[in-house]
Amino acid sequence: MEYKNILTTCPYCGAGCGFYLQVIDGELVGVLPCKSHPVSQGKLCIKGWNAHEFVGSPDRLTKPLIKRDTGFTVASWDEALSTVAKKFKECEESHGPDSFAVLSSAKCTNEENYLMMKFTRAVLGTNNIDHCARLCHASTVVGLVQSFGSGAMTNSIRELEDADCILIIGSNTAEQHPLIARYILRAKEKGAKLIVVDPRAITLVQFADYHLRQRPGTDVAVLNGFMSVILNDGLEDKDFIKERTEGIEELKKTVEKYTPEHVEEITHIPKDKLIDAARTYAKAEHASIIYSMGITQHTTGVDNVISTANLAMLTGNVGKPSTGVNPLRGQNNVQGACDMGALPNVYSGYQSVTDEKTRAKFENAWKVKLPEKPGATVVEMMNEAMKGNIKAMYIMGENPMISDPDIGHVREALKSLKFLVVQDIFLTETAQLADVVFPAVSYAEKEGTFTSTERLVQMVRKAIKPLGESKADWQIICDLAQAMGSKEFEYGSPAEVMNEVTSLTPSYGGITYERLQRGGLQWPCPSKEHPGTPYLHKEKFARADGKGKFLGIEFKEPAELPDEEYPFILTTGRTMFHFHTGTMTRRTSLLNKEVPTGYVEIAPADAKRLAIIKGEFVLIQTRRGQIKIKALITERVSEGIIFIPFHFAECAANVLTNPALDPVAKIPEYKVCAAKIEKVQGTSSY
Amino acid sequence: MIGNIRDLARKWLEDKEVDAIFALREQNGYLAPYLFTNVDKLGSMEISTQYRLSYTCRPSKENILSLMQRKEPSTRIGIVARGCEERALIELAKRSQIDLGKTKIMGIACTQEEAIECKCERPYPDNLVLGQKVEGVSQDENVDALLNKSITERLAFWRYQFSKCIKCYGCRNACPMCFCKDCKMEQGVFTETGWLPPEIPMFLFIRFSHISERCIWCGECEKACPVDIPLLTLFKLLRRDIKDLFDYEAGMDMTQEAPLLTTLDEMPMKEELASGI
Repeated sequence: MEYKNILTTCPYCGAGCGFYLQVIDGELVGVLPCKSHPVSQGKLCIKGWNAHEFVGSPDRLTKPLIKRDTGFTVASWDEALSTVAKKFKECEESHGPDSFAVLSSAKCTNEENYLMMKFTRAVLGTNNIDHCARLCHASTVVGLVQSFGSGAMTNSIRELEDADCILIIGSNTAEQHPLIARYILRAKEKGAKLIVVDPRAITLVQFADYHLRQRPGTDVAVLNGFMSVILNDGLEDKDFIKERTEGIEELKKTVEKYTPEHVEEITHIPKDKLIDAARTYAKAEHASIIYSMGITQHTTGVDNVISTANLAMLTGNVGKPSTGVNPLRGQNNVQGACDMGALPNVYSGYQSVTDEKTRAKFENAWKVKLPEKPGATVVEMMNEAMKGNIKAMYIMGENPMISDPDIGHVREALKSLKFLVVQDIFLTETAQLADVVFPAVSYAEKEGTFTSTERLVQMVRKAIKPLGESKADWQIICDLAQAMGSKEFEYGSPAEVMNEVTSLTPSYGGITYERLQRGGLQWPCPSKEHPGTPYLHKEKFARADGKGKFLGIEFKEPAELPDEEYPFILTTGRTMFHFHTGTMTRRTSLLNKEVPTGYVEIAPADAKRLAIIKGEFVLIQTRRGQIKIKALITERVSEGIIFIPFHFAECAANVLTNPALDPVAKIPEYKVCAAKIEKVQGTSSY
Repeated sequence: MIGNIRDLARKWLEDKEVDAIFALREQNGYLAPYLFTNVDKLGSMEISTQYRLSYTCRPSKENILSLMQRKEPSTRIGIVARGCEERALIELAKRSQIDLGKTKIMGIACTQEEAIECKCERPYPDNLVLGQKVEGVSQDENVDALLNKSITERLAFWRYQFSKCIKCYGCRNACPMCFCKDCKMEQGVFTETGWLPPEIPMFLFIRFSHISERCIWCGECEKACPVDIPLLTLFKLLRRDIKDLFDYEAGMDMTQEAPLLTTLDEMPMKEELASGI
C-alpha cells in the first residue's frame, strides 16, 4: 500500500492557499491543509477542503469528442488534433489570421497560459487572445497602471493583520476570499478600524465600525467624498504628496465639489457617517484598501480603481507594509494568466505588442513574424463573431455561456462561428456548442505554477495520473502546434516552459522550479538572488518618472438606471459555497447541500409590497432576458435592490446582465442594471 | 530523538514486526504524513507537533488509518504516536473505527516546550517507547479567565466567537473523533444551510454535543479554524463537565466504556458501534 501527501496550490480563489492532496494507491482520498503555508497556515475554506472531489467526478471528459450529424462521437487524439489543425489552416487561408480568437484560462497554469499566448501569436498569427480577467479585473490592470505603473495588488495578504484601518469597498471578502478575511478579523481583534463600503450587508459588516451603504454604481462619488473630507480637514500626507506624486492640483480641483452633502445626494450615504469614516481612514498610521469586483465591474470600472489609488496616495498609504491598494483576484491563476500575456495587447510581463523592440525580442525567441495590432477583448470577440469577422475560436478552460454578460447574445455569437474548439475537464455549457472537444486534466493531474493575488508564484504538483486519455493543457497546446507544423513547441516538461518564460519576462526573471520547491516567490523577482517583493512602490512608483499620478475623476451614472418599467437595480456576484460557473463546485456534494441552486435576494419591504414569500419562484426580467428563480427575503439588500449569484445555469444571472462596457478596460457592467420582478402565478415551493 | 525513532522503525520493518510505519516525512522543508514501507526512505522520517497522524480525511469521513486498515486488513502498521495521538487511537478503537490488534504504537514523549505550546495536560502516551516523560500543563489561563466571568459574559463571549464562523467545517474535518458518515452539521434539519454565519449557537453545538465525551483535547480543531475561535478552550470546559458528571476521561483506558455509548441497561449499543454512527 502506498499513502502519500502531495503539496499543491488550491484551484479556487486567488488567495493561493496551500494544501496536500492525500493519495492512497493512486486514488485521491482527501485534502490536508499545509500548516507551514504562509497564507493558509493549516486552515482552508469549505471549497478548499473539498477541492479533491470534482477531480474524480464521473462527468469528467476522458476522450476527445468530434461533433458529427448525430451529435458528439468519441475520437482518437490523432483524429481530433488533425481535424482541428486542418480546419484552422483552412480558416487562416480563406479569412486571414484575425479571423481567429482564443480564450485562455485563469484556471490553468502559468506555463499553459504562456503557451496559449505563444500559440495564438506565433502559430495562429493574431493578437486576439483574452480571458476572464477581462470580466473581473481588466479595470485594475488598466487603472492601477495609470496611477502607480503596475496593475497588481500592492501589498501582501499577511500584512493586513498589522493594519490600523482596513477599508473594504466592493469585496465580500469573508465569502470570496475566506482566508484573506482571516487576516482582516485578526487585525480587527488587534484594534484596527474596519470600514465596509457595500450596498449589501455582507458577512463582514457585523464586525465593521462603519458600514457605508452606497447606491450601486456610485463608488467614485463615495471615494471623492472621502478625499474632500480629508483635504478639508488637512489630513492629507503633504510630504508624501510632494515627494512621491504628481497631479495633486488636478485632484483637488475635482474632489472639492464632492462635499459630504453632495455625496449624500448621489450615494444615499448619510454625510456624518461619511465624514467619520473618512477621518478614521486618514488618521490611521497604516491603512489598507481592499477591493474586488464591486469596484471593477462597472462601466466606470477604471474610474473606480483610479479613485482608490488617489485616496491611498493622498494619505501616504502606498509603499509601506500593511497599506496599499489591494485588488483581490478571484481565480487561482488570474494574476498569472495576465502576467503571462493572455491579453490582446501585451506579451508576458505586460510588455506591449505595439512596442517594436519588445516585438523583435519575441520574434527572435520564437523565430516567427508577430502581429503588430492589439487584438480583440472577450466581449468584442463575441460581437465580431456575430458580425462574421471572427470565424473560429479556441477556448481553454472557460465557460462564457455562464460567465459572460447577456448569455443570449453569447450563444448566438458562438453558434455563428464556423468552427469552435473547447478544451476543458467537463462538457460545459460552452463545450456543448463545440465542434471538437479536447479532454484536459485538472490541477491534481499536472505540474506547473499558479500566481496568487499577492503576486506569489507557487508550485502545482501532480498527485495522480490523468483520467482516461485526458491530457494536460500544456501538452494539448504543444500537440496542436506541432500538428500545425510548428517546431517551436517541443517541451519536455512545464519546467522547460518556465525557463523560457523567465528568459523573456523581467519580473519573473529569477523564478526557477528549484527555488519554488521550497516555497513561493512574489514578483517582481528579477534575478536568481532576488528574494521577491512583498510590497510594491517602496522607494518609487513603477511609472516611467517614478511618481504616482493623481487623476481627477468625475462621477458618472451607470449605463442603465431603474425606471418605471424596470424599477429595481439588479446586482450580481458569488456566494461562499460555489465558484464561478459551478463546473467544479456543483460537482461537490457538501457544497450542493449548502446551496443547491440560485436565488434572488429581495428586501423585506419590497417582498411585502409585491406579496412575495420566502422560497416562492419569481420572474426576473431585464431588457436582455428573463429567468425564473427562487426568492430569498433578506435585509442583506436594501429596498429597490436585488442580488443574484451568477453560478447557476438553470437560473443564470447573466441572461439578465448588461453588456455595456467600460470604455478603456472593456469590462462589462455586471454590478448594475435595471430589472423588474413578477410573480409566477400558481407556483410556490411550499 | 529522531535518530532513535528511525533506528527503531528500521528494526520493526527489518524484523517484520510491522509491514509499514505511519509517520511524518520531510520533503523540500515541508512535513506531511507518509506510510513508510521501504527502509531506504527512513532518512526522511521526522517528528513534529505540526500534524496528527490520527487525522480524519474527507469526503469518506474516515480516519486515514482506518481507511488504510479497511483497504488492507492484514497489513500490520506501526504508528509513531504522541500522547494525544494514542488517546485518539484508543477512542477510535472503542468505537470500532480501527483495529488496535493490527497496529503497533511507537509512543513518543513530547518535550516541555511542546507540552507548553499545546497546553497539554498529559504530553506522553501510555506505550512510551522513546523520550522522557515531562510534566503536563495543568493551568490554562483561557479556561480560568472564562470561569471567572459571569454566565452572561461567557455567553456574549461565545456568541461573538461563533459569529466569526465561516462554515469551512475545518474543525470537524481535522477532528480525529469526527467520523460519522451522516454528519448532522451538514443537514438542513438542524440549522439552515447556505448561510453565514451559521446559526448561533446551534451549528457548532451539534459538534460539541456529539463529541463531548470523545474529545481527546488534541487541539486540531482550533488549529484548523481560519477565524481563531478558541475551540480547545471550549472542549476543555466540556471535558471538565464530562469528568464531573460521568467520571470519564476520553482516551485513557481502553476498557472504560464511554458513558454516552451506554444504554439505560448500561450495555454499549453494539449494533450502532458496528455501523459507525
